Amino acid sequence: MSQFSMEIDDASVWFGPPSQRTEVLSDINLQVQPNEFVAIIGFSGSGKSTLMNLLAGIQPASAGAVQMNGEEVTGPGPKRGILFQNYSLLPWLSVYGNIELAVKQVFPEMTAPTRKEYIQKYIDMVSLTGSEWKKPQELSGGMRQRLSLARTLSMQPEVLLLDEPLSALDALTRANLQDEIIRIWEVDRRTVIMITNDVDEAVLMADRIVALTPGPRATLGKSFDVTLDRPRDRTTLNFNPRFIELRNEVTKYMIGINEEAKALHTSTDITLPNLMPVDFNTIEKKPRKPDQPAVGAPEPVRSHGEPGRQQELVTAGVDNE
Amino acid sequence: MPSQEPKADSIKYGLLKFIDITGFKVFDPVVRLCFGEEPQKQLGQIGRFMIVPVIFVFCCMMLWAYVAPRHKTKSGEVPDPTQVWGALVVNDTLHKRENEKEADFLLTGEARTKKIAEVETLLKAKEAEAKTLKETIPEIAASVQSDIDASLAPVQKKYDELKATHKQEVDARKEKIKALAQSVANNEASNEQLIALLREDSVAKKEARETQKAIKEQIAAINDNPPKVLKNTQLQYSSIENEVQHLKKRLDYLNSGNRGQKVEKAEQAVVSAQEKLDAAEEPAAILAAAKSVVKGKEKVERITSQKYPRRATIWFQVWRSLFTVFIGFVLAAAIAIPVGIMCGLNKVVMACLTPLISVFKPVSPVVWLLIFQIVVGAFFPNPETHPLFVFASSLPWIGGLKVNPAMVYSACTVAMCAVWPALVNTALGVSSIDQDHLNVAKVLKLGLWARLTKIIIPSSLPLIFAGLRISLGVGWMVLIAAEALSSSDGLGKYVWDEYQNGSSQTFANIIFACFVVGIIGFFLDRIMIILQRSVSFGDGAATV
Repeated sequence: MSQFSMEIDDASVWFGPPSQRTEVLSDINLQVQPNEFVAIIGFSGSGKSTLMNLLAGIQPASAGAVQMNGEEVTGPGPKRGILFQNYSLLPWLSVYGNIELAVKQVFPEMTAPTRKEYIQKYIDMVSLTGSEWKKPQELSGGMRQRLSLARTLSMQPEVLLLDEPLSALDALTRANLQDEIIRIWEVDRRTVIMITNDVDEAVLMADRIVALTPGPRATLGKSFDVTLDRPRDRTTLNFNPRFIELRNEVTKYMIGINEEAKALHTSTDITLPNLMPVDFNTIEKKPRKPDQPAVGAPEPVRSHGEPGRQQELVTAGVDNE
Repeated sequence: MPSQEPKADSIKYGLLKFIDITGFKVFDPVVRLCFGEEPQKQLGQIGRFMIVPVIFVFCCMMLWAYVAPRHKTKSGEVPDPTQVWGALVVNDTLHKRENEKEADFLLTGEARTKKIAEVETLLKAKEAEAKTLKETIPEIAASVQSDIDASLAPVQKKYDELKATHKQEVDARKEKIKALAQSVANNEASNEQLIALLREDSVAKKEARETQKAIKEQIAAINDNPPKVLKNTQLQYSSIENEVQHLKKRLDYLNSGNRGQKVEKAEQAVVSAQEKLDAAEEPAAILAAAKSVVKGKEKVERITSQKYPRRATIWFQVWRSLFTVFIGFVLAAAIAIPVGIMCGLNKVVMACLTPLISVFKPVSPVVWLLIFQIVVGAFFPNPETHPLFVFASSLPWIGGLKVNPAMVYSACTVAMCAVWPALVNTALGVSSIDQDHLNVAKVLKLGLWARLTKIIIPSSLPLIFAGLRISLGVGWMVLIAAEALSSSDGLGKYVWDEYQNGSSQTFANIIFACFVVGIIGFFLDRIMIILQRSVSFGDGAATV
């Protein structure tokens, strides 16, 4: 059981030079209780991964702070285990080797036989038994994410950060892994923050769903408490009125904020003044002395040479009219 | 039998994987065919990717064989494939003879006497063979000459006849011109007529010359291309004569030149000097005798440790070149990998080194060689006593390769030219490491050393090895030039010496050396491919 809470206070993240600052996240506020499973749901491109990197400590906050148990997060560390969307496995290491690297680093005092047993426990936990010596490229997408999960769990993180962990997988594998993650979480509860773009997944897994408004300047929107009893069975859940209601509510809200954002976008469009190209012939019509260059005389004409010649050209233009 | 099936399969896939890793993908259908997999398809593959290329190479050889003898150069005809093959045989024989002589030099006791008898009988047989062959040469020469004369006779006759008729014609025309000139003087004919006649005469003369020249050329062609029999017999004779010389030399090494014999002789001299010393009574005589005893003993010691003075044969040159390139390559890798990693990790280091890399990378190996000859040469004022060379010559395998300063310059030149591809590739490999892998390192809070050894180096190994592969190729190419220029024993010097000595064999030897260099280069590259594949992962790794 984890006793760790996470907290984000008025955090913003922006990139680029001050003159052209792109604010990705703006005034994010989030409190996650110990052992709570929070799903953050948002559209793609809304800064979800930046938010995850912010929580992990990989991305420092441009303003505000991220705290874990009241202590400010200054950098990444094994206490906040992160499960990357693209697995981030080391291709030259085997299944065992990938986990071993993490275990050796986080628990350097562990003796060799204990470590072996410990690693095996996590391999078994994610049902990768028998594939210990395979390389990541020999595994399917689902198996890779399982391995990534095992590696993250083996660090015994106080807080588990799941960065769209299942979005690269096909629907069947996805459902399978959702159940697996929940099963493991039920056994060994800890604080989990999951980012997803799948409403069903969020409702099925989380205790609370928080919406992330579309970027740029994404911020957290409405929060929905999922009061469904655990364990939740996906086969019967589809007929549960509370589930359907919640799912519709969240979906409606998400679509709503997306439209709102779109509307917001059009309003921020800068309407350009209706400019017309200047007709130089009309300017040159005004009579003036040959030596005196006309105000706003066209550049290309001047480049032809001396003022006298310029006058000639101009008169020619007038004659043509 | 169902249990047999998987075993055969595992052998098959093992073989296929091996072929894939070693880069001999061409043999893939052969293996599959041996295991009876879709014979039709495999035969098609073999036809397209093995037989067609083999035919093509064969055609190239034919073209070579056709063109080569038709191009005359200052050092004779361009050798054709058979002559180059002959060069291989000659060089190999030379090597074997050196081995025999060395063995003879070291033989002692019973084995030596046995060997002497053996060589003597062989010598007798060869001498007899040479003698009979020598006797046949004049006969063959005479018959060849008569053949030539026979084929020459009609042409010569035709030539003589033609000459005679031409002379008659010239004379006739002369008379005619004279007569016409007379009639012009008498105003019986015009000047124009005379001029026309003269022109006619000059045209006729020219035509006569042309026809004579053509026949002369025919004669020359017959003289220049005598039947090959004579030349072949002469070659055969000279090769036997060569062997006779070799056998004589062997006898020399078995008798007076033998190390054991020499030692024995020196020991006898010591014994007689000892006797003299014992017999001597005068102080001056005693001193002189004692001195000669000491000298004699020193001589014995010197002779006992004597080695056979081997001539540098082609295979020795190959080993020496390989050793030199290996040293240069290891040096290059030892510099390129750490520096490349630093460049990849730190942009400031990269910025510092970029100007050096850009300026020195295009410099020619010849320039480097000269610089190293001066700079490195300063470290070895007395190469014979320098600890490095003394140590190298005491090593079991390397001792025979005669490590000397020239080899060090060549190796340094190789290293200097080979360092760049490895360096640039390593820097690229390290700097282009996947951000995900770095995130893993960040989350795990790996220290610098762990980050290097666990994440950075493994992930950039494929590119590092790709760089090393290019480096080795460059190094091998540079080495040949460096050896030629620094006259460090090796394939380069072999080629250079052949070019300088200019015997009839020269050209064939050079082309033979060209093939040796190429084939060794090919195998070096293959070794690097295997290493590269074995450290690759993902798409670069071998897949069956």
